[in-house]
Amino acid sequence: MPKKELSPIDVYKLLPKTNCKECGEENCMAFATKLVNREATLQQCPPLLQEKYREAFSKLWEILKPPVKEIVIGSGERAAKIGGKLVMYRHEFTYFNPTAIAIDVTDEMLEDELLKRIKDVENFTYAYIGQNLKLDAIAIRSTSNDPERFKQTVKKVIENTKLPVILCSFNPNVIDPGLVVAAKNKPLIYAATKDNWKEMAELASMYDSPLAVFAPNDLKLLRSLAKTLLEFGVKDLALDPGTVPNEGLGETISNYTMLRRSACREEDELLGFPLIGVPLVVWSNSKEMLEISSWKETCLASMLISRYADLLIMHSFEGWALLPTVILRQNIYTDPRKPVAVQPGLKMFGAADENSPLLFTSNFALTYYTVASDIESGGVTCHLLVVDTEGLSVESAVAGRKLTADKVAEAIKTTKVEEKVKHRNLIIPGRAARLSGEIEESSGWKVLVGPLDSSGIPKLIQDLKAQPPKA
Amino acid sequence: MGEEKEKDESKTLRFSPKLLELLAKFQEIELEDVDLEVDELELWIQPSAEVVAPAKAVTPIKAKPAKIIELDFKPPVMEYPGKIVEVKIGATKSEGGTRGKTVTIGGEKFPAYYLFEGMMPHLPVLSLDVFDTKIPLAKPVKMHVEDVLEDPAAWAKRSVEKFGAEVVNLHLVSIDPLVKNTPAKEAAKTVENVLQAVDVPLAIGGCGDAHKDLEVFEKVAEVAQGERLLFNSVTLDMNIKRAAEAIKKYGHVVIAFTAMDLNKARELNRRLYEILPKEQIVIDTTTAALGYGLDYAFTVMERTRLAALMGDPELQHPMSSGTTNAWAAREAWLKMDPQWGLRELRGPIWETVTALTLLLTGVDYFMMMHPAAVKTVRDTVAELMSTSKADASKIADWVTVKV
Amino acid sequence: MSMFEDIPVGVGVIYEGERIRKPDMYVEFGGPDIEKKFELTKVKGLDNVEDGKITVVGPDIKDLKLGGSYPFGIHIEVAGKQLEPELEGVIERRIHAYSNYIEGFMHLNQRYDIWIRLGKKSYERGVNSLQVIGKVLQRLFKSELPIIEKIQITFITDPKKVEEMWVEAKKTYDARDARARGLKDEEVDSFYGCTLCQSFAPTHVCVITPQRYANCGAISWFDGRAAARVDPKGPVFKIERGELLDQSKGEFSGINQAVKEKSLGEVTRVHLYTAFGLPHTSCGCFEGTAFYVPEVDGLGVVHRDHKGVTVNGLPFSTMADSTAGGRQVDGFHGISIEYMRSPKFLQADGGWSRIVWMPAALKERVKDFIPKEVVDKISTENDVKTVEELKRFLETKGHPVAQRWEAALAEAPPAEEKEEVPAMPLAAVATMPIAGGGFKIILKKARISAKKMIIRTVKKKE
Repeated sequence: MPKKELSPIDVYKLLPKTNCKECGEENCMAFATKLVNREATLQQCPPLLQEKYREAFSKLWEILKPPVKEIVIGSGERAAKIGGKLVMYRHEFTYFNPTAIAIDVTDEMLEDELLKRIKDVENFTYAYIGQNLKLDAIAIRSTSNDPERFKQTVKKVIENTKLPVILCSFNPNVIDPGLVVAAKNKPLIYAATKDNWKEMAELASMYDSPLAVFAPNDLKLLRSLAKTLLEFGVKDLALDPGTVPNEGLGETISNYTMLRRSACREEDELLGFPLIGVPLVVWSNSKEMLEISSWKETCLASMLISRYADLLIMHSFEGWALLPTVILRQNIYTDPRKPVAVQPGLKMFGAADENSPLLFTSNFALTYYTVASDIESGGVTCHLLVVDTEGLSVESAVAGRKLTADKVAEAIKTTKVEEKVKHRNLIIPGRAARLSGEIEESSGWKVLVGPLDSSGIPKLIQDLKAQPPKA
Repeated sequence: MGEEKEKDESKTLRFSPKLLELLAKFQEIELEDVDLEVDELELWIQPSAEVVAPAKAVTPIKAKPAKIIELDFKPPVMEYPGKIVEVKIGATKSEGGTRGKTVTIGGEKFPAYYLFEGMMPHLPVLSLDVFDTKIPLAKPVKMHVEDVLEDPAAWAKRSVEKFGAEVVNLHLVSIDPLVKNTPAKEAAKTVENVLQAVDVPLAIGGCGDAHKDLEVFEKVAEVAQGERLLFNSVTLDMNIKRAAEAIKKYGHVVIAFTAMDLNKARELNRRLYEILPKEQIVIDTTTAALGYGLDYAFTVMERTRLAALMGDPELQHPMSSGTTNAWAAREAWLKMDPQWGLRELRGPIWETVTALTLLLTGVDYFMMMHPAAVKTVRDTVAELMSTSKADASKIADWVTVKV
Repeated sequence: MSMFEDIPVGVGVIYEGERIRKPDMYVEFGGPDIEKKFELTKVKGLDNVEDGKITVVGPDIKDLKLGGSYPFGIHIEVAGKQLEPELEGVIERRIHAYSNYIEGFMHLNQRYDIWIRLGKKSYERGVNSLQVIGKVLQRLFKSELPIIEKIQITFITDPKKVEEMWVEAKKTYDARDARARGLKDEEVDSFYGCTLCQSFAPTHVCVITPQRYANCGAISWFDGRAAARVDPKGPVFKIERGELLDQSKGEFSGINQAVKEKSLGEVTRVHLYTAFGLPHTSCGCFEGTAFYVPEVDGLGVVHRDHKGVTVNGLPFSTMADSTAGGRQVDGFHGISIEYMRSPKFLQADGGWSRIVWMPAALKERVKDFIPKEVVDKISTENDVKTVEELKRFLETKGHPVAQRWEAALAEAPPAEEKEEVPAMPLAAVATMPIAGGGFKIILKKARISAKKMIIRTVKKKE
């Protein structure tokens, strides 16, 4: 949590104050405001990048830099940014850079198996509230420990996917050829340990690659390695404190928590790097059924997402196991300051026709989903008009004058519902009762005030069927 | 070790001969990422030339570390001025009830699973939902209780014996005037039957109608005096005074249920404090399903717990979660494209992930439905609280594991 | 609700928005066609009020003609140990809401603008006397506002009596307004804190004083007082004033204590009348925000309804993000529109003489409260579109902030010094003039890392 609230004025004082608009903003104060809100970056200001502003730039960099460094893996359109966290708890501000999810392949896989898997990972997508949830990287594990084999596999992967890659081996002699092939794609090297750190550091420096650090359940060693590697000249690190499942779970969760707090609250720069979690470890128990391992992996992944992992390396490609993971990630990384809204418009439930009842509700995601769920589970056939209340719930929108009779009338017009429905009866949420008369006037429709809670909708519709309102 | 422009594959660069050869051929050579180790190097600086000099003439270029720089790590332990109260549910014979065992929740002095700061005194409690009348259930849930759907006592028994419920949540949904409008007396009888059928403590759920719930709660509280039931729940639109008085008079405990709003939770508690001691109140700020508001629920709960530990006197209670709400998510019960697997797996894992996410905020009391979800949460809690040292050697070779 | 079992029509929130159209109305009271109408609430002593009494002075509903419009007055008298005249306005405003809860009974506006209609259907079902209306109102008032111990209502339909009482009512309204406007922050012994919108802004508490309205614009000090009395366990609570620590900035020890407690130590001091330093915090529902324009050392103000950008190129929403969430951000400050009408408005910063820009629509609303000397010197989106234009405008008009510029120019801007640059792997280049014949640098046992090393053959000079 920032010690003192950063004001745009503090930032403005260090800017060139030319109001030249090269950053895309009207003036320096506007740019300063955007910087503080993390809607702009220092690199957008060309004058600032000049030699004479070097000191100001460093000062700005210092005050704006996140306690957890942001590092980039991969290149091009699917490069993944990990870390870059400003706060420990999402409610303190918001999280940036959703946890990157890497799916593994090995260098002992058959070629067609390998190619299919990476294509599947690249193409994975799920449509959710107007976003497409995707997977982010491929982790190439050398199970053969054969440098040539590894190199060939890395080459194949690089040639067949745009996704960033993580080169996984504790043997520098295996990593080296892989790195030669993949260098241009900025892979993440996994990983430096107490036994191989020097060689790994040299490789990382040579190719300017980000380097992971693995010190399982030993934070003292992790910190020491981080210091050593930074002194060596490696700039971008990612820390893996070890994902120890089963009876190690408590300490694992505790370690991630300690690391994040050290970076954010104690401002320990040595630990201010993205954290790697490896739910894949559950697959070490090869005796278990596929479903069990996938289940366990998802559970572990979900806990690590909530507890600060910036990158996860996973194995299961079961849809039912990946879906909750990508949705949880999306949820946790939603900006808590901004209400989540769904697309306004007209929705149909069941085989709704021109005689089906018409209800309306707000476009606050929580409201909409609750209403939709009650309608669906009640088996109701109807039309639902989703009015744009800028993401506010019905109650708040009525109080804040974001839900008005005019807005409803406008929604009726825009969705052309009058062409789809013969009657002119509109059922309004109970919490919008105050607007009933005004809505009748603005829209020309007859209003029926519905229940305060959408759980009462099925009963209301049932009653209406028995005693339909006068047209 | 570097790379030359003409793609020379040689590993090391011998300074003199090769370079001179190249210089003979080309005017200029550019080398990237050069690392030179020299015994002695002389630089001639000619007059009126731009000089490359180190910026800090005093500080030499740092030598790279030859071995690991040993540093310490100090766990970032914090002090918390606040503490969560402990709430006991159920009463044994000696305490005035008929339960074989009771459960106690709360008492935390640190945030959830911040084990580096200490151990919590109590484990979270897992309870299963039972309904007093047949209700529509998702297939993966229904298949486990199909034959006992109309017999709450049998259903409760199964929950305890087969699925390990530590508390049974008996939801008296039939009392709803719009369902069966079961009178209070009859509802109380159902409660007695279930009390007879199981040995564990009981939680009693209403139907959501503020007036009917109050009426039934008062009756049940009286009939089950001494059992220390957990009433689910009292809300801001109930007659709080009457509800609290009944709870107090007959020695029960209550869930204070509000929307996802810290202030509403504080307000409800303030009103309850006029009659009830803090040790009889559990907070529920509403649980939303994964994908349908879980992040709101998560953040409100995390905040509630942190504020309580930071000293907020109106939030220092154990938290309850209606995790069953996870089944409201479309993905939990809908038949989806084969890519997304079977509902039989998707549904239960939906409830599980919802539960695990909230577990990390400090939820002390879970109300759940699917046995697999319950088992996973139970196992996870046991793992989290295990006192045996984590064996890191088990994962040291994860990179080479053959799946 | 069971307390209305004897009422022939429904009573509840569900009827709040009902409109009764002319063809559907049985009778109309007040409204645009009638000159004299009013509703008045007075606080009386416990001995002067007969609880439950309802009087109709003049004809009752059943004696009136179908479709007619009539002059009308509602006179409510309340008594209770915790009641005082200052709370009359708060109670009076509730007549509107409670009347609307009655099915088929519509109430619009307030004070001397009321417009009431009774629907035919409700009349036919038995709402044929003002006694019915009176009963409902009394029950609602007593159950919602338990500090009302006794309540009696008089409905006046006799035109002469309406006119007589109207004069009295007007006097009361005027006196109330004068008292409200005249009340100074330093004169009262307590303020009111409101945490209604703290859900996503946990460190925020709005401090409501007589001269500083709540940020949402909905709650005055009187409202706060009533709310805290009615519901001491509710979201609005009393804050002891404590000591006045700084008159100009508006710092009170009682307020500091209260915000410290409610924000769990996040915020420890608040200055009420300034946008700099330790400004009053905001949640998310403030009506407007003040923002610093450094190029002219002035403050701009923008309200929520303003579409498009302000003079600095940012829209309301972006600047709102800067101040929302209960944070004290120097130079960004959430406010209510009513606060702009207060004599204490941003007084520590110079008040209106520091305001350089505001939307034209907003200016219209508060025009009467902007001092004559500056009102035309404050620009709107119709006068200037950029900060450069703003500067010229302010200079031309002779806006007070222009004087601050001269003072600032006296301070020389700090020179850009070349300081020691933090060491980076590659040393920075410094040009050194060389004297004489040059020299040698000998490095022994050195290790050189270079991102790039260029070896160039140099042609011998002939």
